[in-house]
Amino acid sequence: MAEKLLEIKNLKTSFRIKDDYFAAVDDVSLTVNKNEVLAIVGESGCGKSALAFSIMGLHTRAKMEGNISFKGENIVGISPSKLNKLRGKNMGMIFQDPLTALNPLMEIGDQIGEALLLHNKELSKTQRKEKVIKLLNKVGIPRPEYVYEQFPHELSGGMRQRVVIATAIANEPELLIADEPTTALDVTIQSQILDLIKDLKEDMDSGIVLITHDLGVVAEMADRVAVMYAGQIVEIADVTTLFEEPLHPYTRSLFNSVPNAKEAQDRLHVIQGIVPSLQNLPRIGCRFAPRMPWIDGEAHEEHPEMHEVKPGHYVRCSCYKHFHFPEESKEEEHHGVS
Amino acid sequence: MEANSANVELQSKTVTKTPSGFSVVWREIVRDKLALLSLIFLVGISAFVYGTAIVLDQEEIVKVDLFAIYEAPGEEYILGTDYGGRDIFGQLIIGTRNSLSIAILVTVMTGFIGVVFGLVAGFFGGHIDNIMMRVLDFFNVLPFMMIVIVFVAIVPKYSVWTFSLIMTAFLWMGIARLIRSRALQEKELDYIHAAKTLGTSNIKIIFKHVLPNISSLVIVTMTLNLAANIGLESGLSFLGFGFPESTPSLGTLLSYATNPQTLEYRWWIWVPASVMILLLMLAVNNVGTALRRATDARQRRG
Ligand SMILES: Nc1ncnc2c1ncn2[C@@H]1O[C@H](COP(=O)(O)OP(=O)(O)O)[C@@H](O)[C@H]1O
Ligand code: SF4
Ligand SMILES: [Mg+2]
Repeated sequence: MAEKLLEIKNLKTSFRIKDDYFAAVDDVSLTVNKNEVLAIVGESGCGKSALAFSIMGLHTRAKMEGNISFKGENIVGISPSKLNKLRGKNMGMIFQDPLTALNPLMEIGDQIGEALLLHNKELSKTQRKEKVIKLLNKVGIPRPEYVYEQFPHELSGGMRQRVVIATAIANEPELLIADEPTTALDVTIQSQILDLIKDLKEDMDSGIVLITHDLGVVAEMADRVAVMYAGQIVEIADVTTLFEEPLHPYTRSLFNSVPNAKEAQDRLHVIQGIVPSLQNLPRIGCRFAPRMPWIDGEAHEEHPEMHEVKPGHYVRCSCYKHFHFPEESKEEEHHGVS
Repeated sequence: MEANSANVELQSKTVTKTPSGFSVVWREIVRDKLALLSLIFLVGISAFVYGTAIVLDQEEIVKVDLFAIYEAPGEEYILGTDYGGRDIFGQLIIGTRNSLSIAILVTVMTGFIGVVFGLVAGFFGGHIDNIMMRVLDFFNVLPFMMIVIVFVAIVPKYSVWTFSLIMTAFLWMGIARLIRSRALQEKELDYIHAAKTLGTSNIKIIFKHVLPNISSLVIVTMTLNLAANIGLESGLSFLGFGFPESTPSLGTLLSYATNPQTLEYRWWIWVPASVMILLLMLAVNNVGTALRRATDARQRRG
């Protein structure tokens, strides 16, 4: 039985916009086990980063309801000092844009050293430097002694992302959240960074939350996948099940918008439009309904719940049963950008 | 092995360092001849007034000498004397030193309060920010001039220090507001979030990450404030609320010009002080604008 690392139950994170609260993360429940990659996919603006920030306790102005437990202990609303004991030591995060995720005025060595300085106080200065050099080596940075004294602007994007990763894994966290770690990078660099993250998982036995909108990345990296739409998880399953039998109309539409499924689109219903902004989401009823105009009004559920269709395979809403695709076209290979 | 290390050497040399903060500033000042001249002038004047003030005997200079009233510039008194027979040149030196000291003290103290206040309000935001901004608004609506004048009238003998403290109490809000708005922007950047994910405490983030990244704004603002603060004491003295005569200042010299006789016939009393104030303010301002250009890549000259 896999060991539970992170368990989120009915998490709701709302932002205050003009005296009203809008939920960017709504009723999200999921678990991450040790030595497992959980991918979270969804269009841009669907709340992936908001979810990651909620887990790391980075929202300062948001209202958070529900429960996030890390190794059995609730971490929602705990004091900053308690949270700071976990962050950087037990959990780490990799950001999307390596250009902005490093302090422009701090030497690389000091940035990575900061995590060690905070959680590994018994290390002497020279030991710390040794450890930082080791980390730089581990993430594949050539000439680490030299890079140690460089500033972020002297490094390329790929190198900077390696530094960001080195910082996040300095204390070998059990949980690593990677928020679109390769989106800002060239294709060739992307696969190197992904390989690196994969190696880390095997090395450290960590649980990894990998946020992406790239189904190719999902296919390559994930053990389980959660599909997110407008702040909610609409389907969650292990990666093979999800790719072979996607149930929720949104999941299917994600696969259909993969470029090589182009002709399939002519025969299927195409989901149009984009994720509505927080203020424009329907406040009652299913958040997805406005984008499925061809479904009968009665077929929609008022508050679609998660249903477990098979062990470990959850779908929001039962009306996928009413939702019939003209004919099951064999899903082709899924890679490329959604 | 050796070839390898040589190779590393070579590579490390070919990586061009983009100019660091200080060298950019220096280059900008050298390129701007006026700023360079201003800087040299400021350094020279400061060295001179603070240097000679050590050897000058202030008691001697402010001593009334009835046999030397209103002497025109000449051999004995380079810049003549005032109505009490006191050496203008000596007063000019001590006055410049006092005005500079006030300006520097007020700038440093307002800078310190403003930066800490602005950083805390901007970084924490929310209720803390709301409360702090109400406090700031309160200071803003206080009738500054009136309170200073009352204070000057009731405190019998005030010095450069007390004067600077009163001024500071009313002049820290501008920089606090500016720093707050920058801190509000800065705290949303990913590197601040990244520092949080490492478990860095808020106080450490404020002073180790946010402050260094807005330091150029702090330096530029403080330099421009310094220019404004040089005229501060003079303005009040001119209105008759300046230092007692035992403490010579540029403002006291300037206020002699309120006497029409002095204004018309005894230029040596007030002209040097006026020119000094003007030059100091212009010079600091020039350096300040060069600094601002240096910190803003779009305005940089080269
Ligand atoms: N601090 C915030 N205040 C208000 N709205 C926010 C805030 N952060 C994110 N949002 C909104 O929440 C939604 C989800 O954003 P985000 O999590 O960044 O999406 P993703 O990472 O999936 O692209 C967006 O509509 C965004 O505008
Ligand atoms: S209620 Fe069900 S069928 Fe209707 S839009 Fe939502 S998910 Fe689709
Ligand atoms: Mg995002």
